Amino acid sequence: MKSNDRKQQIARIITLVFTFIVVPLVILLLTLLLPASAETAKHYTDLKLAPAPEVKVPNYSRFQLKNGMVVYLMEDHELPLVSGTALIRTGDRFESANQVGLAGLTGAVMRSGGTQKHSPDQLNQRLEQRAASIETGIGATSGSAGFSALSEDLSEVFSLFAEVIQQPAFAPEKFNLAKLQTQGGIARRNDDPNGIVGREFQKLIYGGESPYARVVEYATIENISRDDLIRFYQHYFRPSNLLLGIVGDFDSQTMRSQIESKFGTWNPTTTASNSDLPKVSQAKQSGIFFVDQPQLTQSYIQMGHLGGQLNSPDYPALSVMNEVLSGFGGRLFNEIRSRQGLAYSVYASWSPQFDFPGVFAAGGQTRSDATVPFIKSVLSELEKIRTQPVETRELAFAKDSVLNSFIFNFQDPSQTLSRLLRYEYFGYPKDFIFQYRKAIEATSIADVQRVAKTYLQPNKIVTLVVGNQKAIQPNLASLGQPVTAIDITIPQPT
Amino acid sequence: MQAVSRFLAIFWVVVLSWSVVSQAALAQTLTLETTPVQSIQPYLDRVIDRVTEFKLDNGLKFIVLERHEAPVVSFLTYANVGGADEPDKKTGVAHFLEHLAFKGTTRIGTENYQAEKPLLDRLDQLAEQLQKDTEKTTRDRLQKEFDQTEASAGKLARQNEFGRIVEQAGGVGLNANTSSEATRYFYSFPSNKLELWMSLESERFLEPVFREFYKEKAVILEERRLRTENSPIGQMIEVFLDAAFKVHPYRRPVIGYDQDIRNLTRPDVQQFFDTHYTPNNLTIAIVGDVNPVEVERLAQTYFGRYHAQPKPPEVTAIEPPQTQTRAVTLKLNSQPWYLEGYHRPQLSHPDSVVYEAIASLLSDGRTSRLYKSLVEEKQVALTAQGFNGFPGDKYPTLIMFYALTAPGKSVDDVSTALRLEIERLKTEPVSAQELDRVKTQARAGLLRSLDSNSGMAESLLEYEIKTGSWRNLFKQVDAIAAITPADIQRVSQATFTSQNRTIGRILPQEIKP
Repeated sequence: MKSNDRKQQIARIITLVFTFIVVPLVILLLTLLLPASAETAKHYTDLKLAPAPEVKVPNYSRFQLKNGMVVYLMEDHELPLVSGTALIRTGDRFESANQVGLAGLTGAVMRSGGTQKHSPDQLNQRLEQRAASIETGIGATSGSAGFSALSEDLSEVFSLFAEVIQQPAFAPEKFNLAKLQTQGGIARRNDDPNGIVGREFQKLIYGGESPYARVVEYATIENISRDDLIRFYQHYFRPSNLLLGIVGDFDSQTMRSQIESKFGTWNPTTTASNSDLPKVSQAKQSGIFFVDQPQLTQSYIQMGHLGGQLNSPDYPALSVMNEVLSGFGGRLFNEIRSRQGLAYSVYASWSPQFDFPGVFAAGGQTRSDATVPFIKSVLSELEKIRTQPVETRELAFAKDSVLNSFIFNFQDPSQTLSRLLRYEYFGYPKDFIFQYRKAIEATSIADVQRVAKTYLQPNKIVTLVVGNQKAIQPNLASLGQPVTAIDITIPQPT
Repeated sequence: MQAVSRFLAIFWVVVLSWSVVSQAALAQTLTLETTPVQSIQPYLDRVIDRVTEFKLDNGLKFIVLERHEAPVVSFLTYANVGGADEPDKKTGVAHFLEHLAFKGTTRIGTENYQAEKPLLDRLDQLAEQLQKDTEKTTRDRLQKEFDQTEASAGKLARQNEFGRIVEQAGGVGLNANTSSEATRYFYSFPSNKLELWMSLESERFLEPVFREFYKEKAVILEERRLRTENSPIGQMIEVFLDAAFKVHPYRRPVIGYDQDIRNLTRPDVQQFFDTHYTPNNLTIAIVGDVNPVEVERLAQTYFGRYHAQPKPPEVTAIEPPQTQTRAVTLKLNSQPWYLEGYHRPQLSHPDSVVYEAIASLLSDGRTSRLYKSLVEEKQVALTAQGFNGFPGDKYPTLIMFYALTAPGKSVDDVSTALRLEIERLKTEPVSAQELDRVKTQARAGLLRSLDSNSGMAESLLEYEIKTGSWRNLFKQVDAIAAITPADIQRVSQATFTSQNRTIGRILPQEIKP
């Protein structure tokens, strides 16, 4: 009986549990699940999406030290990291023609050669033991110096950074090593056909002697001494020539006093002088240029002419034109790659520069026997965009692509910081990117057609082919323009 | 759209060089020595707390990491299949499929699928007949019909519509890559487009249509020319892997052999898709400004449409131990390169992190041993580095070294200097300072990777698929912190032997007058 009683009791409990716990649970679960199971998958055209997120510009401060150095600070406390970038008003476009390579060597040895207080080995050790880095370099239009550190190591690393910028030692053995490395690079510059096409195309557009195209040679390296590096450094590296931006996990007030203490007393005695920018005009006006590389099964093709500057009022419309022509589902990709199967990569782009004319360049790689058809297809796409208005849906595609992805320019505070530095460096307004967005919004079909017709100039197109002469059939002469061979033999050291 | 080419893979593997860890090694590291940078740990813990995971009934798994710093989201679909899974004579099919996964569906990329489908089927029949029939007049007739049919089908296709939808909606970074063991599809959207991604990505693999197959074959052959035939290092890597592996499919090129690519058919691709793109073989990572509850609800709705299927077959081939040095030399239009590879275990082996420490010790930064010795002091090389996981790391693989000779120096000079540094690992214990540096850099490297949505999506999936849990991404730094000088010596002695070595040399071709 007892056992029976117990069974009944258990049965009662089960009933109770079922009624008051399980059933409500099931009902609860059903109500939770129902909206989900009632929801059905939608085709993309049937979706209603929330409005696009707003762009938020991160806060920052800007100030100038008494010695003229400009500083931007942007706090970002997500991770315990700090990084800094300095832009220096210099560039290899200011080195003399018989010393090509001087700026690059200065930029490299400034860091690799250690400082007056720390030998190269000590500097490397101190940084890498802390997983930190300092790097410097000089490119065509600017010099740069950067650091990256865990925030706990900031004061130590920042102090080394200040030393590298203000007191580089240019250790002679590191100067010799950098020269050797440069010579090694010269010897290897024809190993990759992409390298050949990129280098030789710049020469055709700007001219072999232009600071925007000339390349380092054994002879120009031989003309450079360690003293030349020191002189080049002293000429350009001064506080009034330097913009510094720091982003990351720091307190702005503390950082500011650290900057004052490390850079405030920097007052080099050498006199300042600003160099004029080199003049630019298109070197070769038209024609086909050819580099024979008998080992290749493809032709590496680049064709184009001199372009323009980023601050041209027509740049936004030109960038809409770029979108129509290039990129995923652009005309060139659709026609030359997907429809004709002629290339893995194909492009055409108006590529402006901040303060000198850039290039308009189209190209890609195709199997040797498709070289001529490829060039003709690219030309016919350029002709089409010059002479026919783009379709409404193409304009919408191009503009929407830029506008809807605009938020990705603000993913990370460091993007904003590096834009602010570049804009100030080149004298652009600080809201340049927003002006650009506004101009994209306003671009019409007529605008695109006008800029395509004005700026794309088929009669000025220079065509460069790096490929296998015997296998290019029909041959390049069938394009009806003079074909000039380019000799890329590397002049040997004397 | 691009295979991770062998040349690029060298550098790609270097980027991920800390991404290798084994669970066995992790289990050993319950008591940790203090590293100099424990202050990083709270930040890692915070990220771990923001990860959620769930699996649909059909076996498809999602990993979600919330990052609300910016209103954007990165998506990555990881198919656990690559070149190593291809049948013999079908090399390149995994990568070909990756290209075709951009061609649309029954509703995207077409004007009218009902009209298009019979044309696509007819093209396959004609292609098959063309391969069999050798009689000229028949071939000409078939070719003519093929060209006409292809043109008609082309008129019904909307080229690259899938990509256009993504880009027009503000998607960035749309691409895919194929390796020897994985196929990854990825892009990022503004955060209001979560459901758009759900719709597009689920439809993409629910009802794919492999249209424009024959033109895409030409594109892929161009890609092969670009990456392999016309690249000295591309050519070298193809013959190097063929020498280093005799049995395991790691010996084959991911992009495929030229003749295999030419022979592939649309049914080959379809069959490969049906076998390997099963929901239990796919894993998806979503990183960014999302609500994980909403992600799960939408995933159920959109990806719940996939039907559960049997698990795909796994690679069973086992590479036998190497018994003597192998060497390949190519004379090419190039300055010299020197390569050296040693077999090492797969990533699930407890010693995997030790190999990572060795590569870092030798290669990371200006204080690394190869830079100091070969580049700075002896000046025999312009660059000299080692890295792991080539060509993959799911199966037993290689630790690789490569160097570019300095002017006037030979591959023999480089090889002698490199060997000296490798021998030192066997005979001398590494200093505490060097090992500390490697450990600190590993932890800081992980920290620096946390601010990239797309990078985190990739790392979480690498660990999830290859080690069984995304958590190992974070545990790896503890495993590295536990490595001792004796571990380095033991592993070096076992690995760096002449029997276990494969050498590759690129030598300049004599220039013919």
